[in-house]
Amino acid sequence: MVPVLLDLITTAAILYIVSSGLLLVFGVMKLINFAHGGLMTLGGYAAVMATAMGLSPWIGIPLAAIFGGIVGLSMERVVVRSLYNRPLDAILATWGLSIIIGQIITLVFDRGVHFAEPPIRGVISILGEPYSTYRLILIAFALLLGVGLTLALRGTSLGLSTRAVIMNEDLARGLGINSGLVRSVTFTLGSGLAAVAGALITPLSSVDPNMGIAWLISAFMLVLVSGSSLYSLAVASIVLGGAQVVVSNYFGSVLGGMTIAALAAVILRIRPQGFSYE
Amino acid sequence: MKMSMQKISVLLAVTALWAGSAVAEDKPIVLGFPLGLSGANSITAPAVVQAMELAVSEINDAGGVLSRKLVIELADSASSAAGAQKAYDSLVYQKEVDAIISSEPSAARNAGLPIITRGKIPYIYTSFYEGRSCNKYQHIDGWVPQQVVSLMVDYFMKDQGAKTFFLVGNDYAFGRGLLGDTNKYVTEKGGTILGEEYNPIDASDWTAIVSKIRQANPDVIITSTAAGAPNVTFTKQLRAAGLTAKYGSYALDEGTAKTLGPDAEGIYLGGSYYTSINSEKNAGFLKALNDKFGTETKTPNELSVPQYDAIHLYALAAAKAGTTDTDAVVKALSEVTFDGPRGLVQMSKQRHAPLTMYLAQVNAQGDTTIIKSHPNVDPGEQCPNL
Amino acid sequence: MSEANVKEVASTSLPRPHFGPLTRMVIVASIVLIGVGVAPLFMDAYSVNVLVRSMIYATIALTVDILWGYLGVLTFGQSAFFAAGAYATALVFTYGGFSAEYAFAALLIGIAVAVALAGLVAFLAFWHGASALYASVITLVLPIIVTQLLFSGGTYTGSSSGLTGFETIPLSSEAWFWAVGVWLVLLTAAAWMYTRSDAGRLLIAIRENEQRCKYLGLNTSNIKAAIFLICAAIGAIAGWMYANYTMVVAPEIAGFTFGTELLIWVALGGRGTLFGPVIGTIIIDYASAQLQGDFPFVWKLVIGIVFVSVIVALPRGILPLVSNAADWFRDRIGIAQPQQHSQLQLRQASRSGRNIIGVESRGPALVVSGVEKRFGSLEVLSGIDFEATYGEIVSLVGPNGAGKTTLMTCIADGSKRSGGTISIGGHDIAHRTPEECVRLGVGRKFQMANVFDSLTVGECLQIARARLDPLSKWQKSGVCSLPPSAMRVVRATGLHSDLNLPAQVLSHGKKQALELAMVLALEPKVILLDEPTAGLTKAERTLIGTILTELAKTEQLCILLVEHDLEFVREISSRVIVLHQGRIVLNGSVDEVVNSELVKSVYAGSGH
Repeated sequence: MVPVLLDLITTAAILYIVSSGLLLVFGVMKLINFAHGGLMTLGGYAAVMATAMGLSPWIGIPLAAIFGGIVGLSMERVVVRSLYNRPLDAILATWGLSIIIGQIITLVFDRGVHFAEPPIRGVISILGEPYSTYRLILIAFALLLGVGLTLALRGTSLGLSTRAVIMNEDLARGLGINSGLVRSVTFTLGSGLAAVAGALITPLSSVDPNMGIAWLISAFMLVLVSGSSLYSLAVASIVLGGAQVVVSNYFGSVLGGMTIAALAAVILRIRPQGFSYE
Repeated sequence: MKMSMQKISVLLAVTALWAGSAVAEDKPIVLGFPLGLSGANSITAPAVVQAMELAVSEINDAGGVLSRKLVIELADSASSAAGAQKAYDSLVYQKEVDAIISSEPSAARNAGLPIITRGKIPYIYTSFYEGRSCNKYQHIDGWVPQQVVSLMVDYFMKDQGAKTFFLVGNDYAFGRGLLGDTNKYVTEKGGTILGEEYNPIDASDWTAIVSKIRQANPDVIITSTAAGAPNVTFTKQLRAAGLTAKYGSYALDEGTAKTLGPDAEGIYLGGSYYTSINSEKNAGFLKALNDKFGTETKTPNELSVPQYDAIHLYALAAAKAGTTDTDAVVKALSEVTFDGPRGLVQMSKQRHAPLTMYLAQVNAQGDTTIIKSHPNVDPGEQCPNL
Repeated sequence: MSEANVKEVASTSLPRPHFGPLTRMVIVASIVLIGVGVAPLFMDAYSVNVLVRSMIYATIALTVDILWGYLGVLTFGQSAFFAAGAYATALVFTYGGFSAEYAFAALLIGIAVAVALAGLVAFLAFWHGASALYASVITLVLPIIVTQLLFSGGTYTGSSSGLTGFETIPLSSEAWFWAVGVWLVLLTAAAWMYTRSDAGRLLIAIRENEQRCKYLGLNTSNIKAAIFLICAAIGAIAGWMYANYTMVVAPEIAGFTFGTELLIWVALGGRGTLFGPVIGTIIIDYASAQLQGDFPFVWKLVIGIVFVSVIVALPRGILPLVSNAADWFRDRIGIAQPQQHSQLQLRQASRSGRNIIGVESRGPALVVSGVEKRFGSLEVLSGIDFEATYGEIVSLVGPNGAGKTTLMTCIADGSKRSGGTISIGGHDIAHRTPEECVRLGVGRKFQMANVFDSLTVGECLQIARARLDPLSKWQKSGVCSLPPSAMRVVRATGLHSDLNLPAQVLSHGKKQALELAMVLALEPKVILLDEPTAGLTKAERTLIGTILTELAKTEQLCILLVEHDLEFVREISSRVIVLHQGRIVLNGSVDEVVNSELVKSVYAGSGH
């Protein structure tokens, strides 16, 4: 029972880490960044580069943030900015950007699987059961991320502006908030977080040009049922991630693989606002 | 009577003239290679391309086949059915190749076979696969489950005294086929299967399966996961969970094992080719590869070496048949033998090849050491109607 | 009432023989068909093979264009229907063997499965209140689930290797080329006729402004579902052809990647142009067959870059660019453009009475009692009670945020209020959707002029009448019947001479008038007008005021009006209701309200 419970919590933590960047972008800009998967891949390759340069694997994480941030900022400037009023087109354009990122990575690194040194190996004993240390560390990361983002949103003036834009963009602009700047910063931050998530999952995932795509749909569905709240994202990650673990355990992995997508679609049909309380 | 004699002599003259002109023109023999340059198989494609270039240059340097040169015509099949159709169509109808040789996922092969049938062209499939693919024009020089399952299972049960097994695969024909046979064989030999689990081929999360393995606590885990990402993802998540059961894999290749770093250490591999095979032919092959490609050399693997063998087999068959005519070449392909890096290869058993099979283990440096070898392992009943 | 032409159609004699659009289409289609007939004779076997497949893809790209380009439903899921048709065929032939009867049965099974799946998707995606994004999400989930189901079919569905080796309809490549080519041409021609017809304009209206369509009494959910089901069936037919022609099926044809690829082809060709996606699909698929082998990664990169650029810079795709260039060239060499618009005739509709369920012409037209509206803990309306009778103009006034527009919304959409009852002509609106409220006799005009910008004025009016006069599905009828009240507005404001102008070029005042005419075209009994005079000139305002007063009298309409302009209110209202902080503070005659100290303090207090 203990390992299943730990699986459940760590799966939720991984999903939370993977989805939070997407949620930020969706909350502020009301658009879905389909390049999220591509940016995660980019983060995975940042970890590969850190290993190749002989740096500590932990360095791969800030490196990923920088890569993701720079690419995200330029994507926002060149492409996404002109699509604010066309949210469905934005999905397609960012999907196109994801294809471009994937192909450039392929041209630079080739199609193969690459090696990234994990920051930590081995297991730790929890109530007599050995469990992956790294997966447990990911719980701490998810908590840190949630608390950090919440503090940033509440404690800084830019965070305050961001929350104002989330609530009512027209009003915020009327109050003199530079919503363009807020959007730029959000997209950069969201992209950086996507890349960080990519670097963080390398010890559990293969690093190849498609590594992020597998996560995109789950992250996307989680964000849709969470609205724009980091708190409801945590709830959604636990409920849907937990359902995935339970279904995979008792009904097989094939059903488990479609649990999040199918369940989220049904939840949204019954309760369009999903897990956010409004 | 006189009339008919005349007819025959004219016919003979025309045939001779036609045959003569074909030789005189010295038209090259075009070999078509549909290959997954993009998609899942693109990971191993560079090594395959090197192997085929090496084989073709060796044959051409030795004077070609029927005093004609071999030419490579490559087409991207994108490792998929739709891509394969385009690639095969282009090779058969546009490039009008003399034969097609390919190592591809089963879906791509299946998509290509109807085109081969329609185009009536000799075809050699060079990938290990789940078995029982039969077509009038097809030969296969990769291994099938019958050749590897007993080798792997016997080693664990007899040499290592293992009793309980857990089987993990991707949910596709190859994964299910191989593990199904493994399950049957283990049970026959008195072992116990504690679980047989499949993950969708595009899944990246193995949490539930790893958790089941931990609960079952088997002596041995045998996997038949898909090449590339699934192999890596499963191994990493298994190792992260700290499980210490013996781990045998049918599908991990040496190149990918290297990218796994320390996580790959101790994994047992079963197949027909490893770089550490200790034979003159293999040493010669590795040296030739290195001479030709230098630092660009890709680690040869279970897909590239059969491709190399197949080109040589085609050259031998065409020489034996004395023509590139389809029926004659197809017939000769079942008869010729090539002594290559994998040992003797002859596609004589219902279009499949008895092979020398190896059991190897990945060491701490990411290289493979051969533990056991069985010569001339029979592929069993594959295509009884051919 | 007699049907009288109110607009003279100038029968100008044209200088040269002029073909109608239908004739031109038949000529073009015939030429293309001849092209399809002779093409295989001049092409190598390879090109014939590739083009058969490209043309099959083009038929399904066509359905993506109708759904996305016309109806505005961004679908990632057409691939699932394609797979339904293809797998039905492969499974029937694999397990039953080939025969003509089985081929036919496979086609029917494929279509049935696709339509059933589409019905499920439509049920989830197009319910009242579902957003466009949610609909897209459902179409994204569909291929993911279908792919997993195909995988879990194990040896039965061939799992990831798919099925092969089954016998299919024994036709040569050339014969397939002709069959698929003819099907593609017919399908494109039919789609062209449909999208140009009056009913086809409705698709654009839904894409542009679904809410307005609902408030015009149109059940957009059903319309979308119907189109979606038809497109699914066409997708299944394409899949059937694919399986028959290629003799192989694999799970990737069901996948989200193929669904997205279809979108890329449509976007590059030009969404909402029909010909663009068809030509785009054929060219891109053919070119990638030629180029991908040489540069697999670079080719994908190029497609990605072109795709992003087209989405950002040329949302209408590449075809419109080409046709614009052709027009420009035609202008340069002095060939006259063919006349674009057929003239629309307005007719007077006979009063139908089909409108209202059991008209109660006696008694109050509108009864609101105890209506409440809360957003979470915020109470926007509470304890609203009032009545209004036929022939009355009731004005709702009050400062910003008093809840006026919210009250209007609660009357026009039964699902909006949190408590209380509302009845129209003696019928409780219960939880009726806006389109059902229209059937009870409610017509609503929005605060911002809410018309279909890219349609012409005439088309806007036709769509407003669609509920009562079904639209032609295969042609432009050229006729729009309007009831006298709407006709009065159209003529008085001069809209009758703008019938062929796109609505977006109208002045603000004319847009307001057009929307009013559209609402009146519904033959409502209770009209809700949200600031009908906002932004109008003094003259326009007077005109609208006169018309409204007249309508209330002659047509016995009950008009509920939200207004800020108290002078206007005083001129036309028979009664005024003052709302403040979600409550009625006064309900009385114009004089009572104008002289009320309370009202003055309310407005002064809110800083108005």
